[in-house]
Amino acid sequence: MANMPAAPRERIVLPPHRQRARRPRSVRAREWVRKNLFPSWRGTLLTALAAGVLGAVVVGLIAFVFFGANWEVITHNRWLLFAGGFPREEAWRLWFSIALVFALIGLAYGTWSSLGRRDHLFVLLVGGFVIFLMAHGGAAVWSSIYFLIAVGCMYIGYLLTYRLPRATSSMRTLQVRLVGALLILALPIVLVVLLAGGNVGIRDLDGFVLNLILAPVGIVGGILIGIPLALGRASSLKSIAWTCTAYIEIVRGAPLLGWLFVALFILDDIIGGDLIIRAMVVMAVFTGAYMAEYIRGALQALPRGQYEAGQAVGLSQYQRMRLIIMPQALRISIPPMVGQAISIWKDTTLVTVILPLRELKGNADSAISQFEFTPDRIEAYVFVAVIFWIVAFMMSRVSQRVERAQGVGER
Amino acid sequence: MPDELSAADIIAESAGPKAVAETDRAPSEEPEQFSPRLANARDMIITEHVDKWFGDFQALDDVSLRIKEEEIVVILGPSGSGKSTYIRCLNRLEEHDAGRIVIDDIELNEDVRALQAIRSEVGMVFQQFNLFPHLSVLSNITLGPQKVRHMPKLEAEALAMQLLERVGIPEQADKFPAQLSGGQQQRVAIARALAMQPKIMLFDEPTSALDPEMIKEVLDVMQELAESGMTMIVVTHEMGFAREVADRLVFFDEGALVEQGTPEHFFTNPREERTKLFLSQIL
Repeated sequence: MANMPAAPRERIVLPPHRQRARRPRSVRAREWVRKNLFPSWRGTLLTALAAGVLGAVVVGLIAFVFFGANWEVITHNRWLLFAGGFPREEAWRLWFSIALVFALIGLAYGTWSSLGRRDHLFVLLVGGFVIFLMAHGGAAVWSSIYFLIAVGCMYIGYLLTYRLPRATSSMRTLQVRLVGALLILALPIVLVVLLAGGNVGIRDLDGFVLNLILAPVGIVGGILIGIPLALGRASSLKSIAWTCTAYIEIVRGAPLLGWLFVALFILDDIIGGDLIIRAMVVMAVFTGAYMAEYIRGALQALPRGQYEAGQAVGLSQYQRMRLIIMPQALRISIPPMVGQAISIWKDTTLVTVILPLRELKGNADSAISQFEFTPDRIEAYVFVAVIFWIVAFMMSRVSQRVERAQGVGER
Repeated sequence: MPDELSAADIIAESAGPKAVAETDRAPSEEPEQFSPRLANARDMIITEHVDKWFGDFQALDDVSLRIKEEEIVVILGPSGSGKSTYIRCLNRLEEHDAGRIVIDDIELNEDVRALQAIRSEVGMVFQQFNLFPHLSVLSNITLGPQKVRHMPKLEAEALAMQLLERVGIPEQADKFPAQLSGGQQQRVAIARALAMQPKIMLFDEPTSALDPEMIKEVLDVMQELAESGMTMIVVTHEMGFAREVADRLVFFDEGALVEQGTPEHFFTNPREERTKLFLSQIL
């Protein structure tokens, strides 16, 4: 059938588009300012008001940060805040993990996106902030060097993948699979790096390190639980659908706080294990219920034609799910899933409230309970807030990137 | 374009002694009028007394139809008449509730393996294209051959390029569906169905979602396909295509097969009142 000559097709040739002239930049800038800031006297008034409020806040903040605050509570307690009870002689495990994760971030960025000026600025600001913390009030030269090496690893990873030719599809496929596999394996690898050998117990995960472990466990575990739950709830087999629905509705019916109580008092008898492991299980189980609902929503949002086209091509049900439905459903559910990830990231502080576990915020409490730092509680909490904001902001930026990179095939 | 001709033109053009002779047959039992070129062809599709219910609504009512190998059948009918449901039953996107459907000597029933065999022999083109938006044009086409027929990747890609050549858009292979016009998307969808090397192609209103200027490019591809000897069932409102390409027209109304015959028969001397009414509205 292939040797049938295609009938010659007449083509309609349109005249080339007229190049539209652009007005000079200064004119456009003036126009933008007028339209967006001073459109009318009412608008001008509101702009002035907003500028006043914003200015007052910024001035107040600067005054506090640079003149009013006593940051010694942070610099003096930086190890406590960062890793708490983590054995200091095993600190290399932390640095190695950080370098690993940074390198992976670089690889992922190079594969799916590109670093822009804003990203470099962000790295510069955060990096400077961290170095400032470490260099201040102590000779932590080595820590600074380790951190710089980690940042270097990120850029090396980025350059490694960014320079790869994107045109050849088989190379590209290999690259995507490799980096994807590394991303999936990142969490177990980091856990092995931290805990292998027995010098570090799981209970030694402390301070900010604990937040950094708990949240990914919750998020990754949640997605792994959420996918089968979503498929189960959409199943035509009622017994499966009801079971999954019951799981989702029961878990979502109580706050994380409540489930952490369950981890503390009830799970001990059921699964035992260290409290940290129980907290991880609860985080994953809790997140899983939400992830399942986002994925289910995406499954329902997919047009029926996608299922039918898969059927018509002759794909089995499993192939349809894996090759057609899931890739699209997961893409649609990225924004709400990242929302949930950010939420669980902040909720890692709850383990301090309920459980005798100490993460960043808990250790900040300890820091200000020291006699000489009791007046500096605002500094301590502002610091904690900024740290949480930085990570949350990074997550939301990355999700935007992922959406955009995936958006090529959008309808 | 032929479909812009008025009803009077078409009737005047195609009226002839042959058409009159054919309509002379007794209309009591629904006559099956095969085109002479198919006189010795074997039956490719047999449907006998097929019923389909959606809840209380009967979508198909005792539909019997035999379709020969290499025959081009165009199904006409008002919306809701069951014509889409009928062809969707042929590859079991809908399950029929009663009657018998046999495709290329394989009976369509609960047997999953029979279903799998039929689906890989029956290609389908949808009104809404239903391309996979997350896959490139090339991958859309190679997916079936690779995953169902276990064809090696390079071979599948070569086949896909051949088919894209055939539907006239080889240069779009690396784009994503959303970057293509409707007409191009539908041509990719045709290539995707052809990649499974089907014996039968089902078209479910393939041009209804297209802008007028893109209809022709899709119809051209379909016409070329018809001339290559494919067995085709086409649900469409494109009367020009029906008149020029079809061996047989079939008219559905309210789930039942009301009338069938050659294009000449339909455009010169339809027998049933409902057919006449429908044609007068559409032409």
